[in-house]
Amino acid sequence: MKMRIIVLAATVVAALQLGEAPLSAHHSNVAFAVETVLTATGTVKEWQWSNPHTWLIVDVDDGKGGKVEWAMEGRAPGVLLRAGWSRSVLKPGDKVTVHYSPSKDGSKVGMIARVTMADGKVLPNAPPGD
Amino acid sequence: MKRTLISLVAAVMAVAVADAQQAPPDFSGVYRPINAFGGGGGGRGGRAGGAPAPAPPSAAPPSAPPSAPRQPLPPPTRTAPLSDGSQGRAPTAPQLTPEYLAKWQAMSKSRISGSSDSDNTAKCLPPGMPAMMNMAYGMEVMQTKDKITFFSELNDALRRVYLDGRKPTPAILDDPTYAGYSTGHWEGDTLVVETVALRDNTYIEGFTPHSDQMTVRERIRFVEPGILEDRITVTDPKALVKPWETVKTYRRMTKPPDDQLREFACAEGIEHAR
Repeated sequence: MKMRIIVLAATVVAALQLGEAPLSAHHSNVAFAVETVLTATGTVKEWQWSNPHTWLIVDVDDGKGGKVEWAMEGRAPGVLLRAGWSRSVLKPGDKVTVHYSPSKDGSKVGMIARVTMADGKVLPNAPPGD
Repeated sequence: MKRTLISLVAAVMAVAVADAQQAPPDFSGVYRPINAFGGGGGGRGGRAGGAPAPAPPSAAPPSAPPSAPRQPLPPPTRTAPLSDGSQGRAPTAPQLTPEYLAKWQAMSKSRISGSSDSDNTAKCLPPGMPAMMNMAYGMEVMQTKDKITFFSELNDALRRVYLDGRKPTPAILDDPTYAGYSTGHWEGDTLVVETVALRDNTYIEGFTPHSDQMTVRERIRFVEPGILEDRITVTDPKALVKPWETVKTYRRMTKPPDDQLREFACAEGIEHAR
C-alpha cells in the first residue's frame, strides 16, 4: 500500500514537471551565451506575462518546412512595460522575429534581445535611455 | 552702539541656529538608476566597455508617418553583460583576500558552465546589501522623521534605515539578514548610514563573495535637484584587502507611469509555486 502511494506520488510529480517544462525553468544570465545573438522567425504559440521573467513560446521555422518549438525568456513585466511591451502586445498566431542569445546547454531556450513584430514594430528589452 | 552690536550678534546666532535646525532634504519618491543597463539600450544588463553602443532600438520614432523610411536597426550584439567571470575580475572590482578569491574562482567556474546555482536572485532571494542599491528596476524611497525605507522593484526587496538614534543590540547583531540593520543620521544635507548584521551568503557586486564581518557605510545626498547620489564604502576585514568604494546615482521620476513601481512577485516563476 505504502509503495503504491509512493509510486502514485512520483507519477503525479513527474506529470506536473512534464507539464511545466521547460517554461518553469528560471535562469540567470549565465545560462546563456550572451555575446551571441541569433535570429529566429516564427509564430507565437504563447506569451506568458510572468515574473521574474516573461516567456515567449514560438514555433520557429526550421528552414525545411517544419516547425520547432522554442522558449524565449524575456525580462520582467515591470521592465518590459517601461520598454513599450504589455501583457497583450503578443498573441498566439502573431508572426515574429526574435533576436536571442542561445542557451549554453544547447536546449531550445533563448534569452530575448529584442522582438520585431510583423508590422515592423520593435520591442526592445530595455526602456529608452537605459 | 553696544546694544546694536549685541542685537546684531544675536541675529546672526539666530540665523545660524535656524540653519542648523533646518529640516533635512526629503528623499521620498520613485527613482530610476542612471544608466542601469549600461547606456547601450536594448541590452538586458548593458554592454561591455569598448564595443560601440548602437542606438537604442526604441530610438525609431513611434509616431513617424507610415510613409517615412524606417531606420534600419543595428543588430543587437549582446543581451547582457558577461557576468560569469570568464573575463576575470575588473580592476575596479573589490580586491579579495586569497581565501575569498578562491571562493570567487570556484563560483566563476560553475557560472561559466551555465549554472545558476550561485545566483540568489535566480532563486528569488533578496540581493541584499549593498548589491540591492543597484536598483536596476527602480526604487521607491519613503521618508519620515524617524525612518527611511528603500524599496527595490527587483525582487520586492526592502530595507529600513532608522534615524531615531537607536543602535543595533546584541540580539540584532546575532541575527544577520539580507538587508542588514541600518541606522542613519544627518550631516547637513547628507544622510550618513551604517549597516551591520549582514548575512554572508550574498554578493557585494558582480558575484563578489564576502564574510559575515562585512559592514557598509553610505553617504546619500542630492547632487542636484532630483538626482540622488549614494557613495558606498564596503569594509570586510576577512574578505577584502582594503575597503571598496562605489557610487550609485538615481533620477527621481515625476510623471506617471515612470513614478510608480510594478509588483515583482518573483515566486510566480519558481517551479511548483504556480
